[in-house]
Amino acid sequence: MTLYLVLIMALPLLWAVWISFTDKRVGAPGELIGFTNYTDVLTDPLFWRTAWNTLVFTLGAVVLKLIFGMAMALALNERFRGRALFRVLLFLPWTVPTIVSVFAWQWMFSDVGGAFNAILRGVGLADEPVPWLTDPKMAMLSVIAVNVWRGTPFIGIALLAGLSAVSQEQYEAARVDGTNVFQRFLHITLPSIRNVAMLAAVITTIWTLNDFEIIWLLTRGGPADATQVFSTLSYTIGFQNLDIAKATTISILSIPPLIVLINYVTKRTLKDQD
Amino acid sequence: MKSSPLKTAFLYTVLVAMSVVALFPIYWMLNTSLKSNAEIYRIDPTFWPETFTLESYRKLFEGPFPTQIGNSLLVGFVVSVLSIAVSVFAAYAIARMRFRGRKAISKSVLYAYLMPRAVLFIPLYMLVSRLQLADSLWALVLVYPTITIPYATWILVPYFASVPVELEEAAMIDGAGRLRAMLQITLPLSAPAIAATTVFSFTLCWSEYLYGLVMINSFDKKTIPLGLADMINGDVFAWGPLMGGAVIATLPIVALYLAANRWMVSGLALGGVK
Repeated sequence: MTLYLVLIMALPLLWAVWISFTDKRVGAPGELIGFTNYTDVLTDPLFWRTAWNTLVFTLGAVVLKLIFGMAMALALNERFRGRALFRVLLFLPWTVPTIVSVFAWQWMFSDVGGAFNAILRGVGLADEPVPWLTDPKMAMLSVIAVNVWRGTPFIGIALLAGLSAVSQEQYEAARVDGTNVFQRFLHITLPSIRNVAMLAAVITTIWTLNDFEIIWLLTRGGPADATQVFSTLSYTIGFQNLDIAKATTISILSIPPLIVLINYVTKRTLKDQD
Repeated sequence: MKSSPLKTAFLYTVLVAMSVVALFPIYWMLNTSLKSNAEIYRIDPTFWPETFTLESYRKLFEGPFPTQIGNSLLVGFVVSVLSIAVSVFAAYAIARMRFRGRKAISKSVLYAYLMPRAVLFIPLYMLVSRLQLADSLWALVLVYPTITIPYATWILVPYFASVPVELEEAAMIDGAGRLRAMLQITLPLSAPAIAATTVFSFTLCWSEYLYGLVMINSFDKKTIPLGLADMINGDVFAWGPLMGGAVIATLPIVALYLAANRWMVSGLALGGVK
């Protein structure tokens, strides 16, 4: 199996590194051109614009997912009637195929017949349709919203698993000492779930950093590259401009931060496996 | 401990609000798929279909969609069965046997699990076209295990490790070989995990979009996500059939999750965050 993984993942990656030093295009063999792709890409303002967008998208989405996921986990960790039902309901966005959630949202964003604009009109908040996907600033917020909607359950469930391992005696003891809810959250809950939360946050960051479907289908990276991220830029250059070498170069340039993140998870996770 | 009525009311308010946000897009999709075209494109959409009609589904099934359902089922089935067969042995070896390179293998599995598709899609596309497999379902059967095998292996390791070694040792003292001990003791005890992992692998294939987009061009070889995406290419948005297709793409997955809800959640938590 390792052999299969090596053959189908490691070798293609090495091949990709090679390709990034050539001028390969779709359907044509390439010739070695040294660092030209790298200098081209790194001096292109669009690359830096994309790097910035990727950062904004990832940070924004991950922070919101952590906040909402924490709220979800805290609520579901209480004992109350209907807990099992709410767990299933709140978990649903994660089970729906990404592409399906993207289309459902895209339809709700629509000017004509779209639910969001209709609701806003209905409650008298907006006369004009809101340009959810066609205004540069709104488009970024919209793609983040869809990512957060879909990704929150994962964080929620992971944090819930962490919360359920915190001992009730600790809370009781702290309660006897006269602490309030916030002090208990700050001094007992947070430290106890720190590891789980960090791991969940890092894994989510890796996934968010490379989100393709949501952005590609909603905005194609637009308007005017306002939501262009590494994955969409590399797809556009590779499969629309047919410049495989440059697209590969962009992919490769997005790997170093990933390696750092994946290393963190690997270290943390494999340590307690032995 | 008894919670105050005020606290309970607050809890339910938060949970209901979160559920509305989580469920609304899914509801809206179902709602749209059951309306007539005239009703869908009203400026102020109806929140409940005035006249229920299966017109959208009829249109959907006149196109290439039924073939694409077949493709998705086929690829999902073949890949998940294959991956589970491989992963069971890989995970068992990692969990049970002490051999040189065990750590390295388990690390490479985790790396493979976390390495995002957005980084690998170009090299894998090149691999597939070099093998003359582009635009065939074989391409997907070859490539999807790179997602499913690391994932399934990673989830199965802790399950296998949690089965007491003593049970197997007892069987081996009675004359069973290691293989028989594994097949008769550890596998049956991990059956829920194996079932859950199979379902997960299937859903991963069922929802996958990026690799499919890069590797498949013909209508009759596309999977469901690709078929759905085709419906919004161009200027005419067929929202009725599209939402119908989205409902069909979601139903089997949600049904699988609901049927296996209990192990699904713990399986997911284990897979993401140990």
